[in-house]
Amino acid sequence: MPLDTSTYNLALLRVDGRRWNELRDQRGQMGVQPSADGSAYLQMGNTKIQAIVAGPNERDASKTNSSASTAATAGGLGATVAVGITVAPFATVDRKRRGRNDKRLQEMQTTLAAALAAAVQGQAYGPRSTIHVSLHVLSQDGSLLAALVNAASLALVDAGVPMTDYLVACTAGSTSSYAAADEAADPLLDLNTQEEQELPFLTLATLGASDKVVAMVCESRVQLARLEGMMATAADGCKGVRDFLDRVVREKGEIMVQEGAVGRGEVVSSMDLD
Amino acid sequence: MPITILQPSLAPPPKPRNDDASDSDSEGGADLEGDIAMGRPAKRARTQDSSIMTPGEIITDDPQWMRGHGTYVIPGAQSNTILSSVAGTLAKTNKLLSVRPLRARYTPEIGDLVVGRIVEVQAKRWRVDVGGTLLAQLPLSAINLPGGIQRRRTETDELQIRTFFSEGELLVAEVQQLYNDGAAVLHTRSLKYGKLRNGVFMSVAGVGGGGGVVRARRQAFTLDISGTDEVSGSEKIDVVLGVNGYIWISKHIEGEGAAAESSGPGITRIEESVGLNVYSSQNDIIPVDTMREIARVRGVITALVENGLRVDEEMVIKGYQEAVEMAKEEPDSADTLWLGGERGKRLTNALVGR
Repeated sequence: MPLDTSTYNLALLRVDGRRWNELRDQRGQMGVQPSADGSAYLQMGNTKIQAIVAGPNERDASKTNSSASTAATAGGLGATVAVGITVAPFATVDRKRRGRNDKRLQEMQTTLAAALAAAVQGQAYGPRSTIHVSLHVLSQDGSLLAALVNAASLALVDAGVPMTDYLVACTAGSTSSYAAADEAADPLLDLNTQEEQELPFLTLATLGASDKVVAMVCESRVQLARLEGMMATAADGCKGVRDFLDRVVREKGEIMVQEGAVGRGEVVSSMDLD
Repeated sequence: MPITILQPSLAPPPKPRNDDASDSDSEGGADLEGDIAMGRPAKRARTQDSSIMTPGEIITDDPQWMRGHGTYVIPGAQSNTILSSVAGTLAKTNKLLSVRPLRARYTPEIGDLVVGRIVEVQAKRWRVDVGGTLLAQLPLSAINLPGGIQRRRTETDELQIRTFFSEGELLVAEVQQLYNDGAAVLHTRSLKYGKLRNGVFMSVAGVGGGGGVVRARRQAFTLDISGTDEVSGSEKIDVVLGVNGYIWISKHIEGEGAAAESSGPGITRIEESVGLNVYSSQNDIIPVDTMREIARVRGVITALVENGLRVDEEMVIKGYQEAVEMAKEEPDSADTLWLGGERGKRLTNALVGR
C-alpha cells in the first residue's frame, strides 16, 4: 500500500492524520526510577523508551558489560559515555527476542554514544569516570533512534550531568519515493513505522534549537536534491522536541521548588549591578 | 428515512487532563504551529517567573559576572554570554553565577562527614565508594592504629592492611583533601570515625532528587529510644547522616561512635580510648527492641526521602517521635514499622504541618 500515491496527495494528510510538519503526541517524565542516578520515560507516538543513567562513576565500562554497551569519550580528556540498548521482545507487533549482538542495535549504540559524548561536558569529571546510559525500548513505532536520543538526553538532565544543550533528534522523510516527481516530493516530519518502511528517511540530531548537527543517519536511498529539505524539516522538528523536553524539565523543577526540595533560585537582573 | 444534516457547531473545549502532576503532558502533540513558527524558547527572555535554568539557556550576557559550577561559556566566542549546563536553580555569590542542579551525584568538599564502603584494597591505601563520581581514597597513614599507637606505618602494617579494613566493609570518615579531578582523600584519625558495625546501612539520593541529606552543623547524633513504652531501660541509637547520602543507623555504645564528639577524650589520651577492637567486624548482641527502633528510624528516613523532605537531625528526631506516636495510636497493629505509602505521607504531613 503505497501511501504517498494513494492518499497523501489527495488530502495532504498522512496515514495517522497528521500534516507533513506535525510531530506525534509526546509524553515525557523525569525521575521515573528514584534509585537510579537519573531516569526518564519518553513517548513519541507509540515509540516508548525508558532511559536509566548510572554514574558518572569510576567503574570500568569494558569490565561491567562489554558486550551490552558501546562507549565513547566526551570532550577530549573527559568522562566516557557508555550506551546500552535493550529491545523488549514485546516491543514490536511480532514478538521476537533480540540477541545482545544484534548488529543494528550495536550500530545505534555507537551512534548514540558518539552523539551523547559530543553534548556532555565530560571534562568536569575526568577520564576515569564513566556515564552509563541504559535504554529500554518498550514499544517500537518508528523514529526509534530519535526517540532513544531524546530519552537519553532527558535522563542525563535528570542525572545532573552538565551538557552544552539538550541533544534532540527527529526523523524526516520524503514522499514519493520514485525518482521522477521531484517537484511533487514533500518532506515529512517524525515518521512512524509504516512510513519508515515505504519512504526514504533520515534521523537528525542537533544540539538544542541550534542548527549544529551532532549526528545524522540515513540508511535509505534518497535523491540529493531532496536531502536539504528533509534536513531542514528534521531540524525544525528538533526544535519542537527541544521545546517539549525543556517544558518537561521546567515543570519538574518548578514542582521541586514548590515542594521545597531545592532552594528557590535567584534572578540575575541589571539592578544588582552597581 | 430521510437523512438529517445537523448544523455544524463548535467543538467542546478540551477537557483538562487529570494525569499525574509530574507527568508532563502539556500540549501533548507539540504541534508545530502552521509552517515554521518554532521560536527559540531558551533564547527568549524568560517571561514566566520560573527560576529554573535548563541546559543551553542563556543566564546573562553581562560581562560583569563570572561563571561558576553548572555554567559554561561558548569557547572561542568573543561574547561574555554565560549559559547553563545543568537543570537547576541559579545561585549568586557576589559576582559568581552558578547553577545548582536539581539532582546530581555527590561532589565531595573538604570537611564533609561521609559514610563509605571499601571497594578495593591496594598496597598502601583503600579505595572507598562514597557515592561520588570517582572513588575516594583512604591512605594507610590516615587511620588510627588499634591501641592508639602513634608511629610511622611500616611494611608490617602494609602486609596486614586487610586486618584494618577489607573489601565491602563500611566506615565513617571525613574528607581531608581534594584532587583536581574532584576525587577525595579521606581520613579516620578521630575517635568519631572508623569502622561501622552493629547497625544498618541505607542510601538516599546524594544531592537534590526531592530531598536527601543536607550539609548541617551536626551530621551524627544519638537518638534516645527509651521514650517508647516497649523499650526497657535507656537505650540509644546512633545515626550518622553522611553528606554523600549514605546513612548508618546503629546501636549506641557508650564512648564510641561518630556521635561521641566532644565527650570523648582529647588527642592526648587517645591511646587509652582507641580500644584494640576498633577494627572488629563482629557485631555485639543487639536487643530485639533496639533492632526494632533501628528499623523504625530507617522507615522514618525512607518516608522523608519518598515525600521529598530534607534529611537532617531535626527532621529525623521529630519524625521518629511522630512515628512512635503513630505506633502508640494503633497498638494492635503488627506492622507499625512500615512507613511507606499512606503512612509515610501521614507522617511527613504531620512533620511539616500540611
